[in-house]
Amino acid sequence: MRKFGLHFGLILACVIVLLPPLWALRTSLVPESMSYSTEIFPAFTLDNYRGLFAKNRFGTFYVNSLIVALGSVIVALPFAACTGYAFARFRTGGRFARFAVLATQMLPPVALVLPAFAILRGAGLTNSLPGLILVYSALNLPFLTWILMGFFEGVPADLEGAAMTDGATAWGAFWRIVIPVSLPGLAAAGVLGFILSWNEFLFALVLSGPQTATIPVSLAALQTSNGVQIAKVSAGVVLAILPLVIASRFIQRFIIQGLTFGGVK
Amino acid sequence: MCAYIRALTLLEDAGFGWQIAEGGTGSEALTRQGTKMASIELERVSRRFANGTYGVRDIDLKIEDGEFVIFLGPSGCGKSTTLRMIAGLESISSGDLRIGGRSVNNVAPRDRNVAVVFQNYALYPHMSVWHNMAFGLKMRGVGLEEIDQKVAKAADLLGLNLLLQRKPGALSGGQRQRVALGRAIVREPEAFLLDEPLSNLDAQLRAEMRLELVKLHRRLGRTMVHVTHDQVEAMTMGDRICIMRDGQMIQTGRPLDVYANPADIFVARFLATPPMNLIPAQLTHADDKLVVQIDPTTHVGVPPKHYAPYVQKAGGPITAGIRAEDIYETQARPEWQRISVKVVAVEALGAENVLIGLLGRDKPIEIQARLGRHFFAPVDSIVDLYVDTEPMHLFDTETGKAVARPPLPAGR
Repeated sequence: MRKFGLHFGLILACVIVLLPPLWALRTSLVPESMSYSTEIFPAFTLDNYRGLFAKNRFGTFYVNSLIVALGSVIVALPFAACTGYAFARFRTGGRFARFAVLATQMLPPVALVLPAFAILRGAGLTNSLPGLILVYSALNLPFLTWILMGFFEGVPADLEGAAMTDGATAWGAFWRIVIPVSLPGLAAAGVLGFILSWNEFLFALVLSGPQTATIPVSLAALQTSNGVQIAKVSAGVVLAILPLVIASRFIQRFIIQGLTFGGVK
Repeated sequence: MCAYIRALTLLEDAGFGWQIAEGGTGSEALTRQGTKMASIELERVSRRFANGTYGVRDIDLKIEDGEFVIFLGPSGCGKSTTLRMIAGLESISSGDLRIGGRSVNNVAPRDRNVAVVFQNYALYPHMSVWHNMAFGLKMRGVGLEEIDQKVAKAADLLGLNLLLQRKPGALSGGQRQRVALGRAIVREPEAFLLDEPLSNLDAQLRAEMRLELVKLHRRLGRTMVHVTHDQVEAMTMGDRICIMRDGQMIQTGRPLDVYANPADIFVARFLATPPMNLIPAQLTHADDKLVVQIDPTTHVGVPPKHYAPYVQKAGGPITAGIRAEDIYETQARPEWQRISVKVVAVEALGAENVLIGLLGRDKPIEIQARLGRHFFAPVDSIVDLYVDTEPMHLFDTETGKAVARPPLPAGR
């Protein structure tokens, strides 16, 4: 009986969490005119998806989002790995540097977006994907550094000691031993960084242009003066969620896999 | 494990990169060909931490080429730190460290040509056993063919042939230990630095590995420094033991010399199971006799040959140290002295019985005695035991240091 109660509670929680995305999926597959129908599934159509790509250039924005999110992770991850490793192993920068990294996360994004705009305009990088990649890299860096610092702290220092007495330089020990051992951590951090960039709205809104908008910006643009095109928004949301669903599967596997599997007792 | 013992026996025939001085230890191993001398010298070496405390302070030690030296001490005494300084993994705050006569204070670990076997083995978890063993050779730019040969040879000797493709995660503790050892061996280093390599093994495997490491040292003839907190390892494995406490080296010497002549109370208690009995007493001088007066009714006389060094302490407090094995249940020799002990417990260990009893009446002191396996006595009964006082040590009660006297011969 207790077990039934527990499962009932869990199922209820799942429904509450899953209902909005499921409803979005339903709305995206129903003709626009029946979006607000009280019927659960009045009719089936793919017109919303077709329209999104044909009239709203959703394909361009989708690719933009992929480029920006992947690009920012690729740029930020190596720097974050080096910084995180330095923080984990050495006294680099002392407590102040660690706090400074954390402090950047406490600023409201609005406080950063105007200076970012000013800098990009000075460099001629507004309305461009590279500009967006740079800004997202900067936003990701503290967060990724902090996560990776935790992972590196979990790698036994004796592994590097063994590598260094085996003939590796400090950099060699980092590159050949610490990085491969931390791959699950790097992957998890990369996926988290990807999700952050993928979902970012404010900076993309201010810094991108008509050609370089990302998914969140393009979906916001569907709230027109003629009303919200809810069916298309739903279709866009479903497509936007897709990579995150895939990514979360990865992240789960990597985090569960753990860090060191039997190298040390 | 069987495979391992067989493999190490094979090592004798195989040679494995070193010219083997048959049964050679210590100086005989110097006949090794084509290698440099690898003596390790520490001169006032210290490790100071950022907060001003010392992990290791003013260590002076010379380890001869080919010697097997044990660093022994309780956890936190600085023995691992000292080892890591020799390896180059811990920086030296002051003093001079020389390997083979060359000062290496600022030489990177990879240029010291020493191998470390870590307590937790520190195998590279993402590499197979083969790659773990090959890593050091690869880093040194050895050709693939030669690497393959050397790894195969070492694997053969350590009984790892069938495990070469496995990852460390798929090995047992003993197997990981062998891989860690193999990784050190393939590189043919000048010195092996072993940081408590046996402490993660179960008791039986540890006893076997203890013997195998000794054999390995004899065959390779290389300098070995072994860190441990286990006094059995210390007594049985090394040419020399260095006892450390609070970052300082308290006493060094051949194991049995140190056992027979402990420098202070700490060494006396640390180096034996059961530990040496320490009995607070007064040293009195009456009628030309020197007597350790434990309480008004209990005393033990000092043997006449030790009067000269001990007489200066007469009339003051003293701590008498009597080893558990110097107490007997029968008086085999006339100079042995009788004491009365109230039995607390008798632990029958099979080969011997350890009696735990109370000595003295006013403020009874617990003592332990190793007696014959046929000795039994009911709890709370009073038994007469006999003390061989010749190996008895007297310690200064305040400083804990042994009162100096001519050293006893080792292995009495």
